Amino acid sequence: MFDHGQPSYAEVNKDVLSVMLETGPKYWMLLGTTMSVAGICFFMPWIYQLFVGVGAAGMNRNAVWGSYLSNFIFWIGLSHSGTLLSAVLHITNSPWRKAIYRSAEAMTLFSLMTAAMFVMVHLGRVWFVHWSFPIPNQMGLWPNFRSPLMFDVMAITTYLTASSIFIYMGSVPDFAAVRDASTGLRRRLYTIFSFGWRGTAREWHTLGWAYTFFAIFVIPLAVSVHSIVSWDFALSIVPGLHHTIFAPYFVCGAIFSGTAGIVTVMYCLRKFLNFERYIGQVHLDSLGKLLITLSLIWSYINILELFSSWYGGTSFELEALQFKLTGFYAPLYWEMILFCAFVPLLILFKKIRWSWNKMLVISILINVGMLTERFIIVATSQPRKFLPDAFGFYFPSWIELSITVGAFAIFATLFLIFIKWVPAISIYEVKETLKPLRRDA
Amino acid sequence: MSTFVEKLRQYRKPGYYDKFDYHWTMTIDLDRCTGCEACMVACQAENNLPIVGEKRFAENREIKWIRIERYWEGEYPDVKMRFIPMLCQHCDDAPCETACPVFATYHNQDGLNTQIYNRCIGTRTCAVYCPYEVRYFNWFTYTWDEPLEQQLNPDVTVREKGVMEKCTFCIQRIRIAKDNAKDDDRRRVRDGEVVPACVQSCPTEALVFGNSNDPEAKVSKMMKNPRGYKVLEELNTTPSIVYLTKVHS
Amino acid sequence: MAIMGSFAFEEDFLTAAKKLKSSGFDKISLLSPLPLEEAQEILELGKSPVRHYSLAGAIIGAISGFAMATATALVFILPTGGRAIITVPPFLIITYEMTILFGVLFTLLGFHFVSGLPAWRDRPYLSSASSDRFVVVVEGAAADQVARAEAIIRDAGADEIQHVGEGQ
Repeated sequence: MFDHGQPSYAEVNKDVLSVMLETGPKYWMLLGTTMSVAGICFFMPWIYQLFVGVGAAGMNRNAVWGSYLSNFIFWIGLSHSGTLLSAVLHITNSPWRKAIYRSAEAMTLFSLMTAAMFVMVHLGRVWFVHWSFPIPNQMGLWPNFRSPLMFDVMAITTYLTASSIFIYMGSVPDFAAVRDASTGLRRRLYTIFSFGWRGTAREWHTLGWAYTFFAIFVIPLAVSVHSIVSWDFALSIVPGLHHTIFAPYFVCGAIFSGTAGIVTVMYCLRKFLNFERYIGQVHLDSLGKLLITLSLIWSYINILELFSSWYGGTSFELEALQFKLTGFYAPLYWEMILFCAFVPLLILFKKIRWSWNKMLVISILINVGMLTERFIIVATSQPRKFLPDAFGFYFPSWIELSITVGAFAIFATLFLIFIKWVPAISIYEVKETLKPLRRDA
Repeated sequence: MSTFVEKLRQYRKPGYYDKFDYHWTMTIDLDRCTGCEACMVACQAENNLPIVGEKRFAENREIKWIRIERYWEGEYPDVKMRFIPMLCQHCDDAPCETACPVFATYHNQDGLNTQIYNRCIGTRTCAVYCPYEVRYFNWFTYTWDEPLEQQLNPDVTVREKGVMEKCTFCIQRIRIAKDNAKDDDRRRVRDGEVVPACVQSCPTEALVFGNSNDPEAKVSKMMKNPRGYKVLEELNTTPSIVYLTKVHS
Repeated sequence: MAIMGSFAFEEDFLTAAKKLKSSGFDKISLLSPLPLEEAQEILELGKSPVRHYSLAGAIIGAISGFAMATATALVFILPTGGRAIITVPPFLIITYEMTILFGVLFTLLGFHFVSGLPAWRDRPYLSSASSDRFVVVVEGAAADQVARAEAIIRDAGADEIQHVGEGQ
């Protein structure tokens, strides 16, 4: 488990907490950069769009959904691995989860927040977004629970709530460790955050049970969230979207891109926060194997989707299929196939699987492929439905491209804030993987 | 209690309505349609459709609740052009209605697929779900140059940015006709009393509008024409518009 | 009066806990920097009542989810897409999500009730217990028992023993 010898308990605390307690100028520069990129690339175009109207984006009459929605699916997908993986590995009691799950869950939370931002950006009249929540309003009107979008609202709110509770409860003992290692205002804050945690057997016992139940609730929830996102598309009758395979397709793709995202984040944590000691070869190896498996499932579902379109044989489906495979966006489609179906096969080689740098490149390529996958879903199907006269074409405007870039900066900003407020590695669970200190040793 | 159970049972029934009060229906005789686009202009004037300008038109952001679709048949020089006016089909099983999270579109008791502008939050899902592509989104807030704002129809709202809109079968005229019927102590609207702008302006009378619940109405008789068909009927959206196919010589 | 003994080694700490328990001290708190199953076994904690909260939450969530969807659909009768007003399949999805939402929230509540947290008052505590020390706290011992408890803790190998006033 540990590449460079086993640390002592106190060293674990010191290593993990030093990231929070010692802040250099580099961090502030990085945070300043991401914040200004987020402001300039995301919020300024968005504010402009709020004043002008959604027409600032490249969408038009036949292509009313655009990159905002494909980005939304992408970010929801990216959120899918953290909490889900953490919960599954917690229940199956896998030891390699313990060092990586905290940041993986943070990734879930922040990509979910980014995804929620895209819903806001997508809406024509975002200032009325509260009408889509089941809260009383002045019209006395309640939302339409028959709508797939309402499923989305319910699922994402639940997911956001559950995953924040999951990450928070998992961090309570670590907040106590921060409290004990700090003074002044920080100490007072973390006293509140840690609920006065002392680490008694009874507290550990209760937390363990509660945590297991959170995990049990979160697993079916995470699966349902991306199924529901897929139903936004699959419940329409648009050729190319109206497939029953869509729910498993989206869930699998989501976990796939989320796992690749975890590899990227792990690389950064290791590199920039000096967690080499805790995040080691074991984690890379296991994540690599998971990536191959998911990539194979993903490829299989993709073949199946093409097959069922072709086998269905209606002219609309064939037309949609043809446009996807050979139309304007065909290069993007084949790029996606290359990055998501073929590149991950390289992980089969141990030399590649065990190299952090190579895995970083592969994980980024996978996510580039997944981003285009979502774009293709939105851009190739719904502008070309049934009536050829009304066929449209969609190309994103510079505002959409800028907002797409800005979203990554928002994610990075949130993550940078996170590493200063929450121990990025679970202190107590890392200690569980250590051999206990013995008197005779 | 029994009425409560009865009501619940009724609410479980697909379609909910046994029969609409009125079932506003249109027939379009493609044999008569010359593709003159008078209906489009009439609709533009009646329903305060914005004039989006050349640039927006090129971006494919025009708003025309009724449009004439053109399809070419054959290769030059043996080429024929076919027209089909396309407007909201007011489907009884409309895919767009279930999609809206805020009930901005729903089915009213007249069998109309209504769009409530001030409830719309602009998710645009309805436009994606619509197989006929007859829903139009306000990408911007459009304005009318002076003195054009003087010609706006006071019976119809002007929509702001971020709102979906579509053909309403000139619901303002239906309302006026119903009000008149009530004022005259008649309970029902007479056939031919409601005429949407497009029907009114059609020089060849290709468009016929009326209440298909009334077997004596002109539209009911037209619907029985063996040439009748519905567009994309295989999608089971049960449209309220019947097209009468062109007679080929 | 509470006696607090701090250990460097997990095994010594567990020995002390076992002995204290078998000598009849009931109010023992076992503070450790990581969850120890053995410590939980010594205190005979068994199954946590948190699970009842989870079940109750899930059931309440399921019922209220379906009830919410049905009741709000009946406030205004707005037929859409030829569907029934009370449409079961979509409402089941709402039910599913609400089941999980309430399950999670009730589990959180259950955690707070069962563990007694948040407790921001001062309780016997060593700040090194969150790092690498194992601490045994014996509370509520009668005056004549204090020495005996102290002896047990010392014999097990505690490096440091403190007497602290309770509830300060």
